[in-house]
Amino acid sequence: MSDPFSGSIHVTGSGNDRELGCRGCGRSLAKLGEPWKQNATMKEVPMQGAGGGAYDSAEHVVLRQFYCPGCGALLDSETAMTGDPFLNDVIKV
Amino acid sequence: MAVDPITFSIIRHRLYRVVDEAVITLKHVSGSAITNEGHDLMVSLYRADGSLLMGGVGFLHHLTSAAEACKSIIRRFEGRINEGDVFLLNDPYTAALHTSDIYLVAPIHHEGQLVAWSACFVHVYDIGAKNPGGFCPDAEDIYTEGFSSPGVRLVNGGELNQDVLDTLLNMVRSPEMVSLDMRSMIACNNVARERMLALVEKYGYPTVDEACGQLIEQSEARLRERLRELPDGTWESRQYLEVLDEVYKVNLRMTKQDDALVFDFTGSSPQSKYAVNCTKWASLGGLFAPLFPLICYDITWNEGCISPITMIAPEGTIVNCTRPAPVSVATVGAIQSVNNAACTTIGKMLQTSETYLKEATAVWHANHFAIFKFGRSQRGGEAIGIFTETFAGSGGARTYADGVDVGGEIPNPISRMANVETVENNFPIRYLFRRRMKDSGGPGKYRGGTGMEFAVVQHDSPDGGMNYVISGKGANFPMSEGLAGGYPGAPNSYVWVHNNETSDEGRNVDVRASLSVEEMPGEKEDVSWGVFPLMGEDALYVRWNGGGGYGDPLDRDPASVAEDVLSGVVSAEAAERVYGVVLGDGDHDFDPVATEKLRGDMRRSRLVAEAAE
Repeated sequence: MSDPFSGSIHVTGSGNDRELGCRGCGRSLAKLGEPWKQNATMKEVPMQGAGGGAYDSAEHVVLRQFYCPGCGALLDSETAMTGDPFLNDVIKV
Repeated sequence: MAVDPITFSIIRHRLYRVVDEAVITLKHVSGSAITNEGHDLMVSLYRADGSLLMGGVGFLHHLTSAAEACKSIIRRFEGRINEGDVFLLNDPYTAALHTSDIYLVAPIHHEGQLVAWSACFVHVYDIGAKNPGGFCPDAEDIYTEGFSSPGVRLVNGGELNQDVLDTLLNMVRSPEMVSLDMRSMIACNNVARERMLALVEKYGYPTVDEACGQLIEQSEARLRERLRELPDGTWESRQYLEVLDEVYKVNLRMTKQDDALVFDFTGSSPQSKYAVNCTKWASLGGLFAPLFPLICYDITWNEGCISPITMIAPEGTIVNCTRPAPVSVATVGAIQSVNNAACTTIGKMLQTSETYLKEATAVWHANHFAIFKFGRSQRGGEAIGIFTETFAGSGGARTYADGVDVGGEIPNPISRMANVETVENNFPIRYLFRRRMKDSGGPGKYRGGTGMEFAVVQHDSPDGGMNYVISGKGANFPMSEGLAGGYPGAPNSYVWVHNNETSDEGRNVDVRASLSVEEMPGEKEDVSWGVFPLMGEDALYVRWNGGGGYGDPLDRDPASVAEDVLSGVVSAEAAERVYGVVLGDGDHDFDPVATEKLRGDMRRSRLVAEAAE
């Protein structure tokens, strides 16, 4: 039994050993209560080329994509300007 | 003594109906498309001390700001608030969001005792700002944003203060329309007062007052209980807001601890020289606009929902600007960014619970555009009006389904747009097309709903065309953030297609049935901020964002992708490159073997990127 963290990440384990893991392959991403994105595979692509043709005016901004290092599942995305910090989400239970 | 459950429930529902009937009155009396067609309005009830009693529909970021308007009037007119009075307030540094959203707040007395307030707003036809329509990209400060009052008595004991109304009408364009706006709000407050007093007459003031108190206690208890069901944590979001060459950020960290939420906007950009700023009352309303429907969807929207919430908005920033910074574009500027940022953090929090997973959503229509056309109509009269398409919106993807195409927005559950014929009847313009925008919905396992695109030209104008004021943003930055890996919806675009704007007298221009902006003759120029012409055979092309997506696009059902391609909302190119779907020969077809192989290759290439970096 696991609790959700998001649609792509869940909480596994019990007590002090609880972790965030990929829902697809179970790969551990971080201890519960700690940021996880630095442990994912991150790729930045120009927003202009990220989607279809309707994104052609999106200059000066990138789409950051965080993948599971185990299975390549897309875990999270965020819009960013180069150099902006990651958006970190942390739960504490 | 507690009111019995049945009476309590009846009074609660009667309060809903009071607000509903007042909204209907507002729409029936107003003659303005932004009110009747776009539903840029709000009506709510407040307790005697100005605290929120029953939040109504319309733009929800007004519920808390109008509470502050009531409280401000109580302070300013202490001892001089009488039965039958109506007060006007539209100063953003006192309580309002921007000057063109005028609040009329009215005390409700029973047997000489102040027992409640009703409050409403509409975006008035004009407010006398530097630019027509109220949104004022040319404003340097609040002093150039039109008539502004921290509180004035418009109706005195049931008698209209004609001198006050005349002062306002003397400062605005199209005074006859603004007069109708004001009368619609007076009528709205009259109906709210009459229905509220009928309720008090039936059950007695002590019972109604007790039930109202219980209702607020119930809302607070239920919201706190809901928050306790969710894990403690912090969630972050970020919005970019551009004006010409300037880029501003709205940063949000939302912290949930036990039964309380803190929204902290520390790190947001300093206030702007442009009118996209908002005041602290506006930011507070901005975060409640998604909070009410997403967390309190089955809880009465009142003061009880406000108590567990704290906002931190540093002074001097774009989300808490200081006077005299201009704010006339706030509602489509910083306030909407606050809406979006809060929607994202709330969605992230809700998806941590199996119980509330289905309530989580990617951001809906994050990117309003205010385009007010103005000039003489085909009948010779003065005409000012917003393109109500900005209210049509786009739904964010949910955790179980696609976003609704052109599905509105979270902060206004009843927003909508006028039909093409209504606009063409009231303004000397013709639409070349208006339709869903391909590839605008954020990709994901569940796709964001699409936005739209449209193009207009002048037609039958006595002056050869019109002009328009545009306060457009989001052309360079997508703003409808996705969730759980879903992409943001596509950005907006505003294009002035130059085409002989000095041609003849402008009547009966040969409208070309252009199928796309690419096909239109003439030089194309991106526009977003200022006043521009729509003259001769010029065209204005606008497209607006789709909603954010949810989940990994490679997890989307390939048949749904093929269906999207068939219906024209996803391109074949995006189907393959973003969704990893290899289309087949038939209309609904995709190649399952080739699709599986392509998706496998794409997943592997994601990991190859790690080695390369």
